[in-house]
Amino acid sequence: MKKNLLNFLFVLLLLGSKAYAQSKTITGTVTGKDDGMPLPGVTVAVAGTKVGTVTNANGVYTIKTSEGPQVLTFSYVGYLSKTLTVAGTKLDAVLEANTKALNEVLVVGYGTQTKKESVGSISQIKGTDLVDQPVQNFEQALAGKASGVQITIPNGVLNTPPVFHIRGTNSISLSSQPLIVVDGVVSYSGDFSGGESGGNALSNINPEDIETIDILKDASATAIYGSRGANGVVVITTKKGKKGTSTVSIDSWMGFTKVIRLPKVLDAYQYVALKNEALVNAGSYNTTVTAPQTIPLAYTLVDKDAAGNDINTDWTKLVYRTGNSYNTNVSVSGGSEKTSYYASGNYTKQQGVIKKNDFISKSMLFNVDHKANKYLAYGAKLNYADQMNLAATSSGSLAGEAYATAGLGRVALLLPPNLPVYLNDGNYNSSTSGIGIVNNKGYSISYPNPQVALDLDRANNEINHTAANVYLVVTPLPWITLKSQYGLDYIYTTNDTFFNPVNNTTASATDNYSQNKRWDWVNTAQFDQKFSKHSFSLLIGNEQQRSTNYGFGLARSVLSDPGFNQIQAGFTTNGTSGLSIGENYLVSVFGRLNYNFDQKYFISATLRRDGYSGFGLNNKYGNFPGIGIGWELAKEKFWSGIKADKIFSSFKLKGSYGKTGNNNIGDFQSISFYSSGVFNTNPTLGPNTTGNPNLAWETSQKYDAGFDFGILNDRITGSLGWYKNDVTGLLFSVPSAPSAGLASSPLVNIGSLYNKGYEFNLDAEVIRKGSFRWNANFNISYNENRITSLPGGQPITYSTSSLEITNINRVGGAVGDLYIIKSAGIDPNNGRRIFINGKGVPIEYTFTGTQHYYNMDGSPYLKADGITPNTINQGDDAIDYGNSVPKWIGGFSNTFHYKSFDLSTTLTFQAGFKLYYGTGATLTDQRFWNNTTDILNHWTTPGQVAAYPKVVFGDNVSNGTSYPTDFNTYSGNFLKVKTLNIGYTLPKLLLNKAGISNLRFYVTGYNLFVFTHYPGSDPEVGSNGTSNSSQGVDRNTAANGRTFTAGVSVKF
Amino acid sequence: MKKKYLYIISIGLLSVSSCQKDKLTPASQTSIVSDDQYLPFTTADRIKAQVYGLYSNLRSGNLYGGRYQVYNDVKADNWLNSTANSVTAYQTWSETAQSTSSEVLSLWSQAYFVINNANLFIDGMVAKGNSVVSAATSANYIAEAKFARAISYYALVEMYCKPYGPDAGASPGLPLRITGNNVYANYDLAPASVSKIYDQILADLNAAETGLPIAYYTTSANTTLDATANTTRAHRNTAIAFKTRVYLSMQKYAETITEANKIVSASAPFTATTGVPFALQSSIANVFKTPYTTTESIFSAPFLSTETAGTQSALGDYFNGTGSLEFYLNPAGVLADAGWKATDVRRSSFVITKSTGRSYINKFPLTPYTDWAPVMRYSEVLLNLAEARVRTTNLVDPQAVALLNAVRNRADASTTYTVASFATSAALLTAILQERNIEFLGEGLKWNDLWRLNLPIPGKTAPTGNIPQINPTDAPYIWPMSGNEQQYNKLIGR
Repeated sequence: MKKNLLNFLFVLLLLGSKAYAQSKTITGTVTGKDDGMPLPGVTVAVAGTKVGTVTNANGVYTIKTSEGPQVLTFSYVGYLSKTLTVAGTKLDAVLEANTKALNEVLVVGYGTQTKKESVGSISQIKGTDLVDQPVQNFEQALAGKASGVQITIPNGVLNTPPVFHIRGTNSISLSSQPLIVVDGVVSYSGDFSGGESGGNALSNINPEDIETIDILKDASATAIYGSRGANGVVVITTKKGKKGTSTVSIDSWMGFTKVIRLPKVLDAYQYVALKNEALVNAGSYNTTVTAPQTIPLAYTLVDKDAAGNDINTDWTKLVYRTGNSYNTNVSVSGGSEKTSYYASGNYTKQQGVIKKNDFISKSMLFNVDHKANKYLAYGAKLNYADQMNLAATSSGSLAGEAYATAGLGRVALLLPPNLPVYLNDGNYNSSTSGIGIVNNKGYSISYPNPQVALDLDRANNEINHTAANVYLVVTPLPWITLKSQYGLDYIYTTNDTFFNPVNNTTASATDNYSQNKRWDWVNTAQFDQKFSKHSFSLLIGNEQQRSTNYGFGLARSVLSDPGFNQIQAGFTTNGTSGLSIGENYLVSVFGRLNYNFDQKYFISATLRRDGYSGFGLNNKYGNFPGIGIGWELAKEKFWSGIKADKIFSSFKLKGSYGKTGNNNIGDFQSISFYSSGVFNTNPTLGPNTTGNPNLAWETSQKYDAGFDFGILNDRITGSLGWYKNDVTGLLFSVPSAPSAGLASSPLVNIGSLYNKGYEFNLDAEVIRKGSFRWNANFNISYNENRITSLPGGQPITYSTSSLEITNINRVGGAVGDLYIIKSAGIDPNNGRRIFINGKGVPIEYTFTGTQHYYNMDGSPYLKADGITPNTINQGDDAIDYGNSVPKWIGGFSNTFHYKSFDLSTTLTFQAGFKLYYGTGATLTDQRFWNNTTDILNHWTTPGQVAAYPKVVFGDNVSNGTSYPTDFNTYSGNFLKVKTLNIGYTLPKLLLNKAGISNLRFYVTGYNLFVFTHYPGSDPEVGSNGTSNSSQGVDRNTAANGRTFTAGVSVKF
Repeated sequence: MKKKYLYIISIGLLSVSSCQKDKLTPASQTSIVSDDQYLPFTTADRIKAQVYGLYSNLRSGNLYGGRYQVYNDVKADNWLNSTANSVTAYQTWSETAQSTSSEVLSLWSQAYFVINNANLFIDGMVAKGNSVVSAATSANYIAEAKFARAISYYALVEMYCKPYGPDAGASPGLPLRITGNNVYANYDLAPASVSKIYDQILADLNAAETGLPIAYYTTSANTTLDATANTTRAHRNTAIAFKTRVYLSMQKYAETITEANKIVSASAPFTATTGVPFALQSSIANVFKTPYTTTESIFSAPFLSTETAGTQSALGDYFNGTGSLEFYLNPAGVLADAGWKATDVRRSSFVITKSTGRSYINKFPLTPYTDWAPVMRYSEVLLNLAEARVRTTNLVDPQAVALLNAVRNRADASTTYTVASFATSAALLTAILQERNIEFLGEGLKWNDLWRLNLPIPGKTAPTGNIPQINPTDAPYIWPMSGNEQQYNKLIGR
């Protein structure tokens, strides 16, 4: 029925075209003012008629008009329109590029708006600012590009999703990463790898294919996303074809990555000297064999390898490498008056700084748009990406892995340098209980030899990501636009893990497969009207989104034949892995009314009503209103009256308020369930989860005020803003009286916090003189995060990898504050570490003996009873040491063009936060672990002022391994030269003969320099991934790399 | 004309995309929703599975699957601790258990989890299940739920409350919950007195006695007893047997005798003459090996190679000398009893001494831990009856001597007790208590015997510390109440 109607409609529309009599032909060439090059695809229209055409590849047009003088209008995207009168038959036109930033079009929820008319807080980043960088996903390239946007890359493992926060951390239990909308469809985001490399869902988007990224921050912009808008919304628009003839672009680069800022560890000679000294201090050093032996042997030594050389292993060389990277992107685009298309293919292979950590991606994008006639347009997009996220074994850097004994980042630093990789008989120096200690005596090592896992293990992931949509636009009247878009986002992910039988008692393989499928259907109707100075734009719409998950897998162990390493081979024990099933559904209606009077007074009101399956029965639907207002002062008479127009070409005050939600809750968390088990082979059934029928979204009330300004005819534009997000109904698993016997602690909306801060952004065309141009962007943001209530008012502590409590959330603090024990250096008299207890009293520690803690007067530190030895421990003595999330973030980007040369650079900075360098504790621990050369400055003689205490073998307290301490905590402030790109474009005259329109060579440096007092590899670091409450912890994280690439880009 | 169709299309587009309401309330395909529809009660299979679920939760390592027995044994004087590991009952052993100790938190929450599941089950049967299964089946299941609830409350009252005897249960007891909870709500509730808790336990066991089947059979013709079911599920005699333990705990000896007489014949060989024919096995060793389903095992927590006891919950791990060796037999405890002869099977077969000189018991030898955890054996009923008879008659009661002799003589053929063996009734009582001490070593009755009689816990000397004697008036005599209960139940009043 519907199809018949459509067919009928086509016929009607075709009949609607009219014919005109024509008798004169005008021709001409349209060129750009900047470079004098012909402009293809310029629309040329005869004023007062419906006659029009477009220029061809050489910028030439031909148009038939009626006799007499004619008025022609030339218009082209990115250029100012021009209207010229022609009497004869030849008319050339020169178009000026529209550089006025305020005329830029912003992509907002379910539509577009000019920057001039926008009252929301929206940052737009051009795709061109993200290209040519050796990144695995566009998020990594966003750092420092927009105010209020924090991007922190937590480790050097390839394709790890960065911490992506817009205006601070807006949740505690739920995700606080923004909603990602790609071409109108909400994309999956986050890590989809079950292997040991990252698997960012968003790496399906090739940065080269991005036209713009619009970051929606305030309520006016995000309320239309309702229950999903609380963390801000990132709207990505991929490239579409432009009218004119086809363009072919090829961009290819290759390069290499090298690990940077590795801590300098002891070599074998230094190690042996230090550890023997520590053994002597512990009273256990013994090299003599006497029979019958009474004291066990305990010493270390520098041994000889098979070739007779001293064993002096640099374990970092075994783990890290120089990685090679290669990337090629090919795209074609073009279009006629009716149809435009864009297609691209991308292949990238990048090697990380950690051996065997590779990212190999093949992706394709195809966009087509067709305007059938005046009333009907439709189009489609298809994006497919296949990514291999490869790794041999744990780097110890992903969330939950900080204490992984096999973590490569950790063993590279910790393993003694006097141990060999291979025994003198050629076998691995390894067994199931760890690396062997050859001829050293007095200790054993449970850490594995990393060479074995690097050779034999794998923990790989493959992601197939499809993102597609089709749309239909009907324009029954010029002021009515009806649009229906149906989109898909599918992720199929496969994990393949194998553990070798050398390091493990049994070889095992675990493979699992999971599919995440989402469809999204949006229908909108937009009505635009203008009555004299009143402009109205009304949008109403409906959206449905459904996501399903289905996963299964095998866990097999005890390999039947050690010659095999695939899951399909013979194993004697079979189990399951990765069983999952889930679904959710969101249905919404929404509306937006934009009104402005004379481009002077603006108002934008939105309302969304969301129904979501994850919400409790009593809270299935939520309403999310938003309103924004704006006032363009520069249009007021008094503005020129006070001569403000001499400086400010535009000055818009704006403010907004609204409500959004965070619905990142599990599919079934509101429901109480019974689940199955087994009792003596009989199936059982019983309660296993307790739901909360009142479960609702977390509510974010956003306030925003600020102004946008333009100076010197908008050559400099900027904005200054203030915001506050009041988040209420934070979700927590709230325990009930255990005698109630509930199966689990249900999620309850119970806490609150706020983020407030300032943002400043400045874009300037600093110099535009002859062949020299300098464009710059500077942005800086300040954010204050405060928790205002928690369940029962009680602080909640958080651990790193379940072992070390590192963070605390408390009322009055920020989310994820560090929870640290204070200290006061080394006692010069006895070389003991001085800690400060919870009452502020200094207490000394010594590893030897049974009484470990002493008062400064040398008396034992005892509990209140005066008998029991007391200890320094986190529960009694740690303090909230301050925020681990930066208060200040920003970036400074510059682009210079001089003749054929161009140079661009991006600096990023974060400041006002602390980082706990847990690796520092690892590196000074006095077990058999290797240490940094810093340890050489340790106490040896009374009166000596030393940085480190007297070394005593076995001491795992004095240097901070047992609990987090202030001497391993540093300011995280940093300034990074994130990218530097230098290019040379060949002269056009030369190229045109070869049929090439543009040829550019370039070199890029990525993650070039970092200025910081932080001693670790990279202050952009985190052991706990994107977790909200345990940021700012660097525990055994692998180091990061610096990348250089060289490339060429060609356009035909 | 044209516009009209465009409008029709537009309206059509908007309307076809209307909401699919059913998807807003999706159904889980792996779990069963628990709400006012009572879906877990809609089929006979689901209801039966819930009954097994109750037993499965009783079997939890934190309760009758191991740790309940462990705590009862190590809190008393037969074991010495060697590792001071606070996750494996060190604090219970050293009488230093705090309200936040893991055993204090875990046993409390697990017992109440079973209680709540039983409550939910009984509520659901009334609301829905009774219309799904037959009246007889329903009565059977509800009685099993009440049994589970009763023995869970008993475990709580025994670990967390003062004994009934001194004040007839007037001391503070526990929150008494007999209706099910399954959504987030305010669950503050003041504790009921110890006597109120006993009232509930007895009400449930009496109801269970009535509602439970006489026995479980493998055939519908009720001809062949189902030994496995009769050991792992409650039947009428199970409820009666537990009542002897409960009444003995309350020092209500006449009632103990009444109940015991229902399942103990008047003269040797003592057996239950109706229902499941409880009887002592000729060799006690048979009780502690596969299939663990003799008529002596009244109730046990079963384990299989696919359903093993957790490492730090299994009885074998604690006591067997093959596990983590965290506890060994106190040389000053039951081992010091000269009357416990080396030839007694319970000594010759079950006590093993390692080269370290430390002794362990060998009742639970299997690895992985698949030994069934005994919860109650028939010999306990016999000794319960014997003790109750002596305490009511204050005589060297001949039947009590016969009952005691049945237990001793089975394991130690060289010893035969007669009335002449005991000069006074007190001597007989001492012998009965010592028999329990020997018979149930490692099975979790020693603390129970001290507690119900309000006796002090003897001091202990061990490498990990010397523990002084704890008197019934001392705070550490019983466990403190769960710290989480104190924190989250505003009406708990402690």
